[in-house]
Amino acid sequence: MVKVDRFAERVLRAFAGRTSRRSVFTLLGSALLGAATVPLLPVARGEDVEPNPGDPNSGMQPPQTSGNPQDPGDQTRCDYWRYCAIDGSLCTCYGGTVSSCPPGTEMSPITWIGTCFNPADKRNYIISYNDCCGGVLWGRCNCQRNEGDRPVVRPSSNNEVTWCFGTQSQSYTCSTAVILGVATDTK
Amino acid sequence: MSSVKFRTLAIGLTSLLAGAVAVAGSATAAAADAETAYPTPLAAETIPNVRTLPAIYPNTWAFLNFSSDRIELRNVGGDAREIEGQLQARDSAMLLIASTRPELYVADTVWSRFTRGVRTDYITVYDTKTLTPIGEIVLPTKRGLITAMEGMFAFTDHERMALVFNFTPASSVTVVDLVKRKVLGEVEIPGCSLVYPTVARGFSTLCASGTLLTVLLGEDGKVTARSESKAFNVIDTDPLFTWSAQLGPVRYFPTMLGHVQPIETEGDAVTVLPQWSLLSADDAAAHWRPSGWQPIAGDGADSLFVLMQSDAREGSYKDPGSEVWVFDAKTKTRTKRLRLARPGSSIALTHSAEPLLLVQGGERLDVYDSQTGSLLRSLNMTGFRTRMTIQPVPGE
Repeated sequence: MVKVDRFAERVLRAFAGRTSRRSVFTLLGSALLGAATVPLLPVARGEDVEPNPGDPNSGMQPPQTSGNPQDPGDQTRCDYWRYCAIDGSLCTCYGGTVSSCPPGTEMSPITWIGTCFNPADKRNYIISYNDCCGGVLWGRCNCQRNEGDRPVVRPSSNNEVTWCFGTQSQSYTCSTAVILGVATDTK
Repeated sequence: MSSVKFRTLAIGLTSLLAGAVAVAGSATAAAADAETAYPTPLAAETIPNVRTLPAIYPNTWAFLNFSSDRIELRNVGGDAREIEGQLQARDSAMLLIASTRPELYVADTVWSRFTRGVRTDYITVYDTKTLTPIGEIVLPTKRGLITAMEGMFAFTDHERMALVFNFTPASSVTVVDLVKRKVLGEVEIPGCSLVYPTVARGFSTLCASGTLLTVLLGEDGKVTARSESKAFNVIDTDPLFTWSAQLGPVRYFPTMLGHVQPIETEGDAVTVLPQWSLLSADDAAAHWRPSGWQPIAGDGADSLFVLMQSDAREGSYKDPGSEVWVFDAKTKTRTKRLRLARPGSSIALTHSAEPLLLVQGGERLDVYDSQTGSLLRSLNMTGFRTRMTIQPVPGE
């Protein structure tokens, strides 16, 4: 088990540059908050709390599922099994899918990988978190997990770095979670 | 449900109409009273009119870097005007505040078509009083695009030079002459990250092998010497945060598990001193650890302020902390424990004689008396969802 953990530790995490992407949440949050304070006469009071669209678990996104019971879960939510080491905006909320970038963006070939456990078939999969770059910036479905993250002194384990390298634009849009294959148990 | 809403609407409109009639009836009398009270009208004002700032800012002001959205200059020391001005910031923008000339420097990255097109990395030189751009230094398009943090942009050579951390993903440093406003060159630092202005002209950088590399520069920005420490940064299990606080010749980095790593500069020699623990046995048992985004600040004398979180676990080291612990760096003991009104992610101390403790937590910037820990005021940052770098101004 320790060996498995070590293996997971070695191949896991980090990924993606959250700087530019995060700025969007500030702007969007302000815009939405502004909208929420427009007086709507007393009749509008009551449905008070405005969901935060930056929260992938806000329920604002219609669910996206694979339709395959072997790949379970809502791919627009942070708790989807492949996102175990992700940090960024989910491409499923931007017109892409869990394994493809939204139209109009470019997928970075240089990336970070994680090992995630599929609760349906009980296998560990190696997941490649390719960033999509050069598209439209706005704040939606931000998913951030820091387990296994280490300070930027080890960049390959750090999720504050923008992993848009080898693309025409290095401006971050969103992140995918592509299956590379089944992780081999090193035991 | 809809009929209830309609009734509420009808009642609301009736009330508004009744109010309007009453106002019209008393309008004439009110105008006469006002003329008696204010016989002279307000004076006409000048157009155009742009506010300027003092050449040296009060030391109760601080820049708040909203991580690539904007950089705001705020007055955190009073309850009157909060926002004094703002600077443009696009991607991984970092600010340097000069104390030897009235200039501010922002290193930034943009693309000619917003998120695509030609990339430009550049330093904008701002006039401190007017916040207008007075110069620009175009950089190699290599800046590390990383959430704004300490170590991405630093002064050296008494503010004559700036150092820009690059990540492509090869690591290097662009050396800039800020006075002549030109790039001097590039220093390769393979396997190392960020720049800390430890020596008079040069820098230290943290390496993935766990060492500290120190690079000395000549007047022309070229490398004159390199020295590397033994490995001390245990990145797997107890890495240094990349944030530090400087007290005199020593820079202190907290570690993930609750140690502090002092690094001392003496001339051109940089020495990694022994670590010491921030935690008692009880603290360790309760899993108290440093945490947050910008988790450490120094008061300029002997005290270190560290943001702390209980019940910490793997993956929680960037989560907000609930307390700020104060340590005497000389005696290596805790002197105070400040409970925060709300959990904080970034902390800093103003450079005033009685430093104010600034704590960003969510959409608020809370201002505390750093001695008593009492909450003095709370500034609003509605909609803020990113990571914040707080930079109090040197000021007077």
